[in-house]
Order: sequence, then C-alpha cells, then structure tokens
Amino acid sequence: MSLTDTAPQARRRDLRIPLAAVLIVVALAAPLIGTRYVTHSLIIALIFMLPAHGLNLLVGYTGLLSLAQAAFFGIGAYTAGLLAVHLNTPFYVNLIAAGLVSGAIALPLGIPALRLRSTSFVMCTLGFVIIGQAISKNWISLTRGDMGLSGIPKPYFELGPLSFAISGTTSFYYLALAVCVIGTLIAWALVRSPAGRNMVAIRENETLAESLGVPTWRYKLIVFMLSAAFAGVGGCLYAHYLTVVSPLTFQMYYSTTMLIIVLGGGAGMISGTVLGSLLFVGLTEALRVAPELRMIAYGFCLLVLVFWFKKGLAPLINRFWNAIGGSK
Amino acid sequence: MFSTIIEQVINGIVTGSVYAIVAVGMTMIFGVLRAINFAHGEYYMLGTFGAWFAIDYLGLSYEASIVVAVLSTTVVAYVVGQLVMRRMVGAPAESGVLATLGIALILQNTVIFVFGGGYKFFAGGYIEPVSILGFSLAQQRIIILVVCLLVFIGLELMVTYSRLGMAMRAVSQNIQCCGVVGIDVPQVVLRTFVLGAALASLSGVLTAPVNVSVYGGMGELITFKTLPIIIMGGLGNVRGTFYAAMILGIAESLVATYIGLQFRDTVGFATLILMLMWRPHGLFSTQARF
Amino acid sequence: MTSHLPILDIQNLSKFYGAVRAVNDVSMHVNRGEIAGLIGPNGSGKSTFFDCTTGLAQPSAGKVVLDGQDITGWSLNRIAREGRMLRSFQNTVTFKALDVEENLIIAGQMFTFPSLASTFGLGRLSRSRINGLRERARELIKMAGLWDVRHQQAGNLSGGQQKLIQFASMLMPEPKIILLDEPMAGINPKIIERVVETIQYANKSLGVSFLVIEHNIDVVTSICQRVVVLDQGSKLVEGLPQDIIQDQRVREAYLGG
Repeated sequence: MSLTDTAPQARRRDLRIPLAAVLIVVALAAPLIGTRYVTHSLIIALIFMLPAHGLNLLVGYTGLLSLAQAAFFGIGAYTAGLLAVHLNTPFYVNLIAAGLVSGAIALPLGIPALRLRSTSFVMCTLGFVIIGQAISKNWISLTRGDMGLSGIPKPYFELGPLSFAISGTTSFYYLALAVCVIGTLIAWALVRSPAGRNMVAIRENETLAESLGVPTWRYKLIVFMLSAAFAGVGGCLYAHYLTVVSPLTFQMYYSTTMLIIVLGGGAGMISGTVLGSLLFVGLTEALRVAPELRMIAYGFCLLVLVFWFKKGLAPLINRFWNAIGGSK
Repeated sequence: MFSTIIEQVINGIVTGSVYAIVAVGMTMIFGVLRAINFAHGEYYMLGTFGAWFAIDYLGLSYEASIVVAVLSTTVVAYVVGQLVMRRMVGAPAESGVLATLGIALILQNTVIFVFGGGYKFFAGGYIEPVSILGFSLAQQRIIILVVCLLVFIGLELMVTYSRLGMAMRAVSQNIQCCGVVGIDVPQVVLRTFVLGAALASLSGVLTAPVNVSVYGGMGELITFKTLPIIIMGGLGNVRGTFYAAMILGIAESLVATYIGLQFRDTVGFATLILMLMWRPHGLFSTQARF
Repeated sequence: MTSHLPILDIQNLSKFYGAVRAVNDVSMHVNRGEIAGLIGPNGSGKSTFFDCTTGLAQPSAGKVVLDGQDITGWSLNRIAREGRMLRSFQNTVTFKALDVEENLIIAGQMFTFPSLASTFGLGRLSRSRINGLRERARELIKMAGLWDVRHQQAGNLSGGQQKLIQFASMLMPEPKIILLDEPMAGINPKIIERVVETIQYANKSLGVSFLVIEHNIDVVTSICQRVVVLDQGSKLVEGLPQDIIQDQRVREAYLGG
C-alpha cells in the first residue's frame, strides 16, 4: 500500500532507522565513553533485562501475575555457579544449562500453581521464592548455605586452540550485551509468532480463547517455563559477573524489581522492557544522591508509576516512535 | 516430653493470636479492595514504635503507650488510606502489588530515617510469669490470648450487625451493585483499611514486651507471615483466618522445636503450597473465589 | 457414508450439582445442514446443557457424539479444534483490546497450524499460513459488514457489531456446527436482521449446522427447522416451530405453571 502511495506534498523524513543506528552505536560505544561505574550500572541493567523479558511474556502477554522470577533467577545463578566451581565448565555451557534447568524446574512447579486463581497464584509464586531461599540456606552440602558459593570464574571461551577469558568490566559488558540482544530477539520472535497472538488471546479472554480451540492450559505452562528459562539465563550472567552466589539471590526484592521494570516500561511491549531495565537502573543510581532517603523516594516513585503512568512508558514510546516515523 | 509438646502448642497459640489480629485486617482489606496489602505488617511495626516512643521519650506507662500507638497508627493509616488505598478501587492486581510495596518502603524507611536502623529495647509490659495448671506462662501472653478472643468476637458482631460490617459484606460480595444501592465503596475501603491497620498496630504493641527488640524491618517479617494465613483462611473470610493463624502459629512453634529454628520462617509458605495442591480453594471455602 | 447420521447426537445427557438436577436425561440431535432451536423458560437448564455439550462443563451422565465420534469428556478447546464444533457465549464476546482483523485471525489460528509447536514458528510457512488466514478474515469481515471498522479495537464497537465479530470469528475455522447461546440478546432490531442473514448465509452457502438458544420467538420461528423445549432440566417437547408455539404444555411452562 505504501509503495503506491506517492503523495505529492512534502514529507517529513522517516527518522526511525537513523535513530536505531544511533542507539546501536551508543550501545556499542557506552563503555568507551562512560566511566567504569556507568558500565557497571549498564551491566546490572542487562542482567535484569532477560528475567524481565520472561516476566513480560507472563504478565504482559499472557496476563499471569507472577512473583516467582527471583526463584528461577536464583536457580539459574546456582546452576551456573555449581557447574563452574565443581565441573569447571565453560560459560556458554553454564548459560544454556541455567536456562534449561530453570525451565525444567518450572514444569513441576507450574503444574499445580497454574491451576490456582489469580491471588492464590501470586502467593504461590511468592512461596517458591521463599522456599528457594530456605533450600539454598539449608542444603549446605550443595550450596554452602549462607556463606554462598564463591570463586565462580569469570567467563572464558575455548575455540579450538584459542581460549580467552572475559575478566574486565568492559569485556563483560559486551558479553552481556550480546546475550541480551539474542534474548531480546528470541522474545521478540516469540511474541510475533502465532503463539504470541494466542498468548494475548489468553490475556484478553481465556474462556473465549479456549472456545476458539486455543489449548490455554498448555500455553500457560509453556510460557511459565519459557519465562523461567529467561530468568535462569539472567541468573547465570549474575553469577559470572559477581563471581559469588548467596541465598540472597532468592529474594522478593528481585521479583518486584523485575515487575517494576516490566510495568514501568510498559507491559506487553518488548521495547518497553528494554527501556524499563535501563530506566530502573538509572532511577536507582539517581537516587544515590540522597542515600538516607533513597528507599523512601523509591517508594514514592512506585506510587507515581501506579497512579500516573498506569501503562508505563509504552504510550510515550509509541507516540515518539510514530512521531519520528515521518508523515504519511 | 508430653508436657513440652503442650507448652509448645500453647506458645504456638499465642503466636497464632498475634498473627490472627494482624491477618484479619489484611483479609478484610482484601475482601473490599481485592488487593493484597504488602504494607500491612508496617502498621504492626508502627504500633510497636509508637509504644516504644511513648515509653522511652514521653515517659508514659505501658497502658498509655497502647493508646498512643494505636491512635498514631490510625492517623497514619487514615492519611495513607485517603491518598492511596481509596484510589485503588478497581485497579488491576499488579498495581495493587506495586502501590502497597511502595507504601511499605516509605513507612519502613521513614521510621528508620527518623529513629535509626538499629535494634531498640522495649521496656514496657507484663513479663512476670504466672503458673497455670503446672505450665508457666508470661502474663503478657495471656493478655494477647484474651485480646485476640475479644477482637474476633467483636469483629464477628461488627461484620454481622453494624452498618460498616454490612457494607463490607456487600462490597466483598458484589462491588458493581454497591454504587447502585448507594454504598460509597471508597469510603468503606477507607474505613476497613483504617480498622485493619489499627488492629495490626494493637497486635504490635501487645507483642512488643514478648519480643523485647524493636527495629524498622520488623513489619516486613510479619507481612510475610500473614500472607499465607490469609490465603489459607480463604481470602476475606474472618473465621477462616482465625483458624489458619492458629494452625500456622502451632506449626511454627513445633517446627522450631523439633525440626530446626532455621525452618520456622518457611513453615507458612511451605504449608500454603502444600495446602493449595490439596485444596486449591482454601481450607475453609468450598468454591474458588480468587 | 455417515451423511445420513445427525451431525450432533446427544444421548441421555444429565448434569447434577449435588442434589440439584440441572439437566436430567435429555436426548436430542441436530441433523446435517439443519438449524435447530433450543428454547425454554429461564432456569430450565439450556445453558448448562450447552456447557456440557461443548466441554465447558463435564456431564454427570450421557454421551455426546459429534459427526460419528464420541466426544464426551473432551475439553472445550479440543472440541473446538478437533471437532470443529464452536460455541458462542451470552456475555463474553470479543477480544476487546484487539482490532477486528486480529480477532478473526486468532479464531482461525488453531485450525491452520497442525500442532502447538508449529505456532511458535516465524518462518515462511508460518507467514503464508497467517496471510491465508488474513485473506479469509477479510472476506468474512466484508460479509459481516465490518469492513470500515476492521482496524478498530473490538471493545470500542457497539454490542451488535461485537456480536457480528463473534459470528465471523466462529466461521473462520470452517466449522461443522455452531452452537449459539442467545445470539439476539441485547442487540437492536437492525442488527438482528444482519445476524439472521449471517446465520442463513453460513447455513446455506457454507453448509454449517446450527443449534440456537433464543428467547426471541420470531427469530426462532423464522430460522429454525425444528425446536426442542426444555423445562426444569428435562425435555418437554420437540417439533416444528409453528406447532411448538401452539403447544399448551409449552405455554404453561413459560407462564410458570
């Protein structure tokens, strides 16, 4: 349609591709321009981005509010940490294993949990986090309890005779960026696929979707497992970046952080989650100017988000994106 | 051996009473608002701090400190209710989670900001033990038991006979129809919320002499203890909450004694998940509502 | 070979809730190409009967046979997907936040993709399937007279238009039979005409059979070839529409005898 649309009047130029190019350049150049501290903050944003993508599939697309993300994040972190410490496996093996183990554990947890109604489901998923923490604290022979697993090596790769380690902040940034780009593309492909449309159908009206032949139960279970896998991969990045995993990985604070990223960026939008994780880290860092009042201000930010930005930043992003898209 | 079990069960009932008074407010708020109040334990904390402040700074007696604590918490709850809770009527679940978490952060960290983050010693209360049927029990624990019973009898009467109680039941049955028959839903939400917060603070003051230490983060722990209780009790169900709190209190006490203290704080959610697998609709309800 | 058999055959269906017999031993069938009606006073068990037939609820006893296949105990989504028997609802009508075209595409997806796994694909095959669905959706949108609003959110359209979206959605998968639960409830007379036309078009041109619960007796007499009357969970009488409205027992049931 747009090909034949040759209106004579002057058009504004489509700035979307140049903007995307600028963003890519900025993402690649960030550690070179910014300080080490900026790079560190960006890595934190990238670590949270994948679990948030997973949660977005669940909350934003399928309409299931879950607080279990921190549990799967922790499972992924411990999986990667244990493999690296005991078996000395390379990073990419840990990354895949973390995703697979978290996704696999989500199956037996999801089967009973997804049968519950809304509020009971939320509480049950919160329970997974609390119990995950208790297990990681008390299964001392495996996890070393409160001491945590330390000495997780920085990622390294072996390609034939070549092997190189990612030891610096800058190189870890590029590694996390690469993992996040791949993860974001996977999330994007998922929601663009016919299955993504079915997820939205379940969110909008589960009974209607069911009556049109959509096996809603199986989709919910699959999305629950996928979201856990995303969280697990994020946990692997976390373990290899901090080189320590402790029971504190399992905390509700992380689940709510991921929820804030998803809702703040705009649920049901991949770009919203990407922006949300940057925004969240930016906000946390900005609040450091007043350390004593930081958490109070953070609480107020949550209220502002809930009452004034009900749909997060998504409407703003959409408007901006259309505005720079040139006139038709 | 046998007497230890009895003693632990009695301790559990006292703990259960503490949880019950906090949880009942939370479950009533859920009934009218359909939102989990993640800040509810903070009113328990505010009550404790109010009493501690009244005793340590104002030099009041323990009895007077109860009044100060409950009144000051009521004022805070009224402000929060007017500014936030009223506006949450009909909001989606995720907004409820974030908004109440925001309030929890604000309340908890304001207290820490004003009074500091360290542990404080609570000096009031009746900690002299008395002996009943061969078991020794602190007087304060007996007070907790009696107050808990009185609170629940009062609530049963209120829910059944008072205007607010009837409005609360109406709102939790069918929120759409309430506007039609002239019930001011935000007003009912506000009053229920303030009542629930006042009960939580009362529970805080009563427990303070037993717990002895007072600190800013104590509300969070109570929130996490009461969350499983309100689900097990069947959300919005006053009597169910009472039984669930007792079960959990006793279970915690027994687990702490016979399995290990480190598992005590996990008992609630572990019980909850097992129960949800067995009876997905709650222990005291035959049909799923939420 | 099975063409003489009824498309839908419900045998001795019962549904009990504790001691309450919501549906009690009801048998009925819908012939191939027929529009059958199901009427009865409020609370006579029509909706429960529908729910048990379509898998939304499981019957306590009895058998449902769809096109020669026993589908008793199948879930709602399986009956829709594998049995191609679709149903409408009185209240839930459309995916309100999605536009009209998306509504129809969702309705067709599970019939075009052979397996759950294949719905996760984004390749050329997947795209061509979706494009096929989009074309079919557009044809049906034209037929339903929704062309001008096809990119609007379904929730922003009138109740009648949403009913039309639901009809068009149910035609997406080339169904064998459609069960309609009070299709005319709460819509204005102009749209009623449209809905009647759509039902007749689907019946004559697409060969879809129908079973319709309806209170509007004019609509029932004009479209249904045969009517079954339920009262207090049991089948009261069955016959031609014009005979039914004359039947003394039916009148008594409606007047609350």
